[in-house]
Amino acid sequence: MDGRVTISELEKVYGEGAERTKAIEDLSFEVEGGEFISVVGPSGCGKSTLLYLIAGFLDTTSGTIAIDDEPISGPGTDRGVVFQDYALFPWRTVFENVTYGLEEDGVPKEERQSIAQKYIDLVDLDGFEDKYPKELSGGMKQRVGIARTLAYEPKILLMDEPFGALDQPLREALQDQLRDIWNDLGKTIVFITHDVEEAVYLSERVLIMTRHPGTKKTVKEVGLDRSGSREDIVTSDEFAEYKNSVWKSLHEETQTEVTL
Amino acid sequence: MRHATSQRIETLPAPVQGVARTIFDWIPLGILVVLWELASGAVVAESILPPPTTVSSRIVELLVTGEVFSHLFISLFRIAVGLGLSIFIGVLLGIGMARSKPVENFFDIFLSMTYPIPKTALVPLAILWLGVGTETAILIVFLACLLPVVLNAYNAANDVDQNLVWAAQMMGTDGREMLYKVVFPATIPEIMTGIRQAVPIAFVALVSAELIASNQGIGYLILTSGQIGNYPRMFANIVIISAVAFVAVRGFEEARNRVLVWT
Repeated sequence: MDGRVTISELEKVYGEGAERTKAIEDLSFEVEGGEFISVVGPSGCGKSTLLYLIAGFLDTTSGTIAIDDEPISGPGTDRGVVFQDYALFPWRTVFENVTYGLEEDGVPKEERQSIAQKYIDLVDLDGFEDKYPKELSGGMKQRVGIARTLAYEPKILLMDEPFGALDQPLREALQDQLRDIWNDLGKTIVFITHDVEEAVYLSERVLIMTRHPGTKKTVKEVGLDRSGSREDIVTSDEFAEYKNSVWKSLHEETQTEVTL
Repeated sequence: MRHATSQRIETLPAPVQGVARTIFDWIPLGILVVLWELASGAVVAESILPPPTTVSSRIVELLVTGEVFSHLFISLFRIAVGLGLSIFIGVLLGIGMARSKPVENFFDIFLSMTYPIPKTALVPLAILWLGVGTETAILIVFLACLLPVVLNAYNAANDVDQNLVWAAQMMGTDGREMLYKVVFPATIPEIMTGIRQAVPIAFVALVSAELIASNQGIGYLILTSGQIGNYPRMFANIVIISAVAFVAVRGFEEARNRVLVWT
């Protein structure tokens, strides 16, 4: 399985001199190909920075990030980011947003259209192809964001609190949709969130980061049986146990922050 | 007061609303015309302030004889070329300055220095270089319109959402392609704002230039009518060019709204 992310002794420092702040320090971990991993941590722990480093938008200060043993240098189409604020091109329709990556890839027009349509259907947006982003609700915009990223078929999805701005029922619907997509397409997913329940519900492992400067505190395995419905899962004892264990670990970090 | 009338209009059925709003919008102008008519001959001598009735019959005369059209055509041609050049160069310059430090450093001093100069003050210099006529008028229109276009394009290109640039990068866009696939489209609304500011400025600059350095055009007609003491004809030309400028602004706004369906 392709799509393994290896992070070794990663360090990220912003600014220089007196302005110098260390965002990430001595961070090493590996994400298996096809794995769904969540990253949680206190605010300002550098979890979004981590995601943008993996995306190649930011340069590392030291250490390496490798995809399938190949160190990255800048952004690449093997990775796709889903942004918290959607980052859709407002001058392009839903359809044109989804075909953007395919255009850049030089995919012929007819093929482009059928691929785009497939992913638009996958996120339940058929009928909205010709709408502009401003005509859509937040949840629909994020579904376009997901379809746009899936359409050019990256091996790795990097998601930056993608459902953070949405209300609870919509969040849950999109979480389930994302689980289905992950089951069907088998992508590696790195999912940033501050919501412990979301992390436990979605992912196979949860990486908990320390407060500023961020590094790995611990990684919790989530061995949930996910064959049942959402209700079965979230009301189960094991779900509560996993959630508590992640919450306690995270709470130690936020606690230190508050007492400071 | 505007607010109160707006509320009252909203209680009317939809088709009537539009008509009512238009009437309300034109009331101030109507009041001015009535006052002008009353003042002419009573408060101010009719010879130096001809009444609207006289002026409008002169407008009809200018239109019917077709005398005004060749001048209007040459004026509009000068505006089209001057404004067009300012848009083309202004957008390139604005985006170039925002996205490239050397370009910004090179041009910043010129823009800062020329900003406070009234561009019409350059007419005598333009005459010296280009002579009396179309080239001078075009240069003045171009210079006057350039700054609003450059400044709006520059500010917008500086403020392009970083996430949009990243989103394009992750899908394989880079280098120069980023400029026309992301930066330029993201900047279009502000470029339109710049052009909207430039259109009336173009008319001001044009008439100013034609008053001094032209033997054709509406500005020239205004000047010569005044010189021979034909004030109704002078007023008629002023009203014509004002009306044309008004239509140009409204027409541009309409076109802009069609282009910017996505904002």
